[in-house]
Amino acid sequence: MRDDAPLGTFEEQVLLAVVRTGEEAFGMNVRREIEEVTGRSVAIGAVYATLDRLEAKRFVRSFRARPDGRERRMFALTRSGAAALAESRAMRERLWRGVNVLALLGHG
Amino acid sequence: MRPRPDRLPPLARALLGAALHGAEREEVLNDMAEEFAGRAQRAGPLAARLWLWRQVANSLPSMVTRGWFRGTTGFESEAHRMKGGALALESWIMDARFALRSLRARPLYLALAVLTLGLGIGGTTAVYGIARAVLLNPLPYAASHELVAFWNTYDWSEAEMAYLRPEWPGFSGVAAYRPEDVFLRREGSPPRMVPGIAASAELFDMLGVRPRLGRGFEPGADAVGAEPTAVLSHALWQELGGDPGIVGTVVQLDGDPRKVTGVMPPGFWFPDPSVRVWLSQPMRPDNRSGNYALVGRQAPGATEGAMTDALRRLTTRLREQFTYPSQWDKTRNAQLTPLRDYLLGPVRPALLATLAGMGVILLIACANVAALMLGQLRGRASELALRVALGAGGRRLAQQLLVEAVLLGLFAGVVGAVAAKLGFALLVSALPLGALSHAVTADWTLFGSALLIALAAAILVATAPVLSLWRGDLRAALSHARSGGMDAHGGRLENALVVGEVSLALLLATGAAVLIRSVEKLHAVETGIRAEGVAVVDVSASGEVARAQRWPQVEALLQSLRPLPGVSHVAATQRLPLRGGGDNWGIAVEGKPELPSSTTAVRLVTREYFALLGIPLRSGRLFDETDRPGSEPAVVIDEVLARKYFPGEDPVGRRISYGLAEGWARIVGVVGGVAHEGLKEEPGPGRYLLIEQSGYVPPSLSLLLRVEGGDAAGILRQAQETIRASSSTIAVQEATTFERLVALAMGPTRRVMQLMTLIGALALVLGAVGVYGVVSHFVNRRRREWVIKMALGMRPRDALQQVVGRGVVLVGAGCVIGLVASVALTRFFASLLYGVSAADPLALAAASATLLVAGCLAALVPAVRASRANPAAVLREVE
Repeated sequence: MRDDAPLGTFEEQVLLAVVRTGEEAFGMNVRREIEEVTGRSVAIGAVYATLDRLEAKRFVRSFRARPDGRERRMFALTRSGAAALAESRAMRERLWRGVNVLALLGHG
Repeated sequence: MRPRPDRLPPLARALLGAALHGAEREEVLNDMAEEFAGRAQRAGPLAARLWLWRQVANSLPSMVTRGWFRGTTGFESEAHRMKGGALALESWIMDARFALRSLRARPLYLALAVLTLGLGIGGTTAVYGIARAVLLNPLPYAASHELVAFWNTYDWSEAEMAYLRPEWPGFSGVAAYRPEDVFLRREGSPPRMVPGIAASAELFDMLGVRPRLGRGFEPGADAVGAEPTAVLSHALWQELGGDPGIVGTVVQLDGDPRKVTGVMPPGFWFPDPSVRVWLSQPMRPDNRSGNYALVGRQAPGATEGAMTDALRRLTTRLREQFTYPSQWDKTRNAQLTPLRDYLLGPVRPALLATLAGMGVILLIACANVAALMLGQLRGRASELALRVALGAGGRRLAQQLLVEAVLLGLFAGVVGAVAAKLGFALLVSALPLGALSHAVTADWTLFGSALLIALAAAILVATAPVLSLWRGDLRAALSHARSGGMDAHGGRLENALVVGEVSLALLLATGAAVLIRSVEKLHAVETGIRAEGVAVVDVSASGEVARAQRWPQVEALLQSLRPLPGVSHVAATQRLPLRGGGDNWGIAVEGKPELPSSTTAVRLVTREYFALLGIPLRSGRLFDETDRPGSEPAVVIDEVLARKYFPGEDPVGRRISYGLAEGWARIVGVVGGVAHEGLKEEPGPGRYLLIEQSGYVPPSLSLLLRVEGGDAAGILRQAQETIRASSSTIAVQEATTFERLVALAMGPTRRVMQLMTLIGALALVLGAVGVYGVVSHFVNRRRREWVIKMALGMRPRDALQQVVGRGVVLVGAGCVIGLVASVALTRFFASLLYGVSAADPLALAAASATLLVAGCLAALVPAVRASRANPAAVLREVE
């Protein structure tokens, strides 16, 4: 992954939702997936704008398909998208190493 | 389940639909409808709506920005591309980029078009900004359409006001006011005069304006013996420190204590924006000297008939109480003027004439650029042919032309906005706005209107080429593109543009010519005065100075000015010639009791006054050292008075009423007549009294200095400094030269003339450029034809004649149309003309001749080039 383009938090969420929805990764489904898992309300416009950005960075690619009889713009993770996710997670875990937030909160 | 996007609330659907494009719109709307329906079932319609609107509100910004940039970022997905229906905006953006590239390839055309349009836009914007501020902005009074000014301005007395005020039939309020400048002295700055208004107590209630702080005048504030009060303008309040606690305090104005009762809001002005303070003025029933103007508010709903009745009752009451000499009988000419016309009327013709002139310049500039574009279109015939062959439709080409024009317009708009900002202050000072110029400032709306005007101009510019495209000219041009340009017709639209342009230019040129002739006539008016080299300093003595002390002070002041370099004479008077009427006193002649009562101008002067202004002595003597306080009162009359009251007699030695005191004064001399009031009025009779002898020193005086060698302007600063240094109780009001006063007396005419001459010259240049461009294109189109004809024996002179002839025909046609139009239109600024008819033949002839010559010269250049063309080169040329 290029150093100058780390994944933003929302970008990471969208990318993960694309992976989780698999064969049914289209805009509305991605939105629903994030909402259901995170419990936060997400605007459809933000999802589409992020998907466009991710496509421009070549982390996803889009194509037209008919997953349920209606033609839709579908998204799929690319190889560099997968690499970006892995790098993002590794970076986060490196950062978390040795950090005990619970202690700071007074629970541990 | 079949999704039903129409289940979405219509507004939400419309908003989302507008932000999305092509296939995506359908997809997202369907999905949203599905989710919406599901939520409505699960959680109820209210929760579903709440969800939907949060989605819309949070989605719109990102959707809109994304849609906007899609076309240019190149980020659009392949999937989106494959399914047609791409952004409608995309083709426009492509056209804009194409137009930018193609404009960059033609820098000369770009510069010419942008500068031409920018000039027109800048001028129009600036004048429009001023006209809007002065003429269109609402007056700063409540329901100002109800406000009217009374007739006989500055001719109403306190006695009349006091008598009439208990009852004003037809009015809900009437106030009296007169100018009353006050002497303001502050720590650390030289004393100066502040423009003020003395008014009756009704003023602010009648205008319907509440002060920003405190109150206006209380009823009874103008009763005799009431405490003197003052209301400050916002600007003066700021200048005095902007302390809100000033209300209720006592300030020293003109040496008198006055209680400040209020501060007006920032935008308020009355009767003009230079006024800084309003003073309550006792209305004494016994004061019959008349120098007030009356302004009133008509009762709401008063009809014209009701007002006529009301005025009749008013004049009847006046007649019952007062007697008027027949020539001053104000009961006979009763008439009300809407306040708006009264305050703004004098500046309107000048402003509108300038605005119209600038608008015409803009039109000419548009025609020029349109002709340029047409020429470019023909020059690009091969390129366009190629693109049509590749499938570009006429609509697409028209769109491209429009985009190019709009781009040109935008550039020109920016140039114009900058020009307008730079030229604004210059224009404000060049226009005869008087005190109203204080209310005019350049603000950011200037930029907005420049862009709007530019957009309108761009669309206007695009009309001609688009029209030509639709009429099929282009197709014809395309089919001829390879035929050697031997088409005989074509360019008719261009010709029409040039004829229009020339006629507009002629319109402006005649306007300028008529004004120049007016100013010429005004210059020729005999003022009776040698104005060159005379400096004028208006001073006012503070009210604290006792009357008896005034003369020694003034005399000391005059003596202190005498040593200034180059000064040969110094003098003082209470009212200079050409500064409008006023100070007319009644006259009686000893031994002629049968003379009807009448008045003459009275001027209080010092001994050197006549020599200084170059007023010639006709007979008798001027004031000399024998005229002193206590000696027999002496008076000098002018020849107009002599002719009127002493026809066929020698007035020297006769006696007339003195005016300042009971008794007679002896006429010691007769001097030349002088234009007491203004240039446009016939010189009236006048008489002169010696200030020193009369013992009466008016509080405001004009000091005069004659500078040998003539540089009066150069000494003004020194004179002001000398006055400031020698006295702290005398303030300089204005310092100027007499020549400037003469220019001022010419009124708006001179200034409008200068502006119009400039505009006319601009129109001439633009018109000539237009003629040049069109004739060049004409020449280019016909070059091959001529070359072949010349090879067959046509003389170069014939080609030259044909081209110039073409130019002359165009200019001639334009001149004829322009002449008709100017005869019809110039009369609209007849009020600016003096001694010239709007259809002055000399002016019309001069303007058309100038334009014809300029047009012929413009046509000659390409003609000469055509006649010298090398035939072989032209025939070998590949278009």
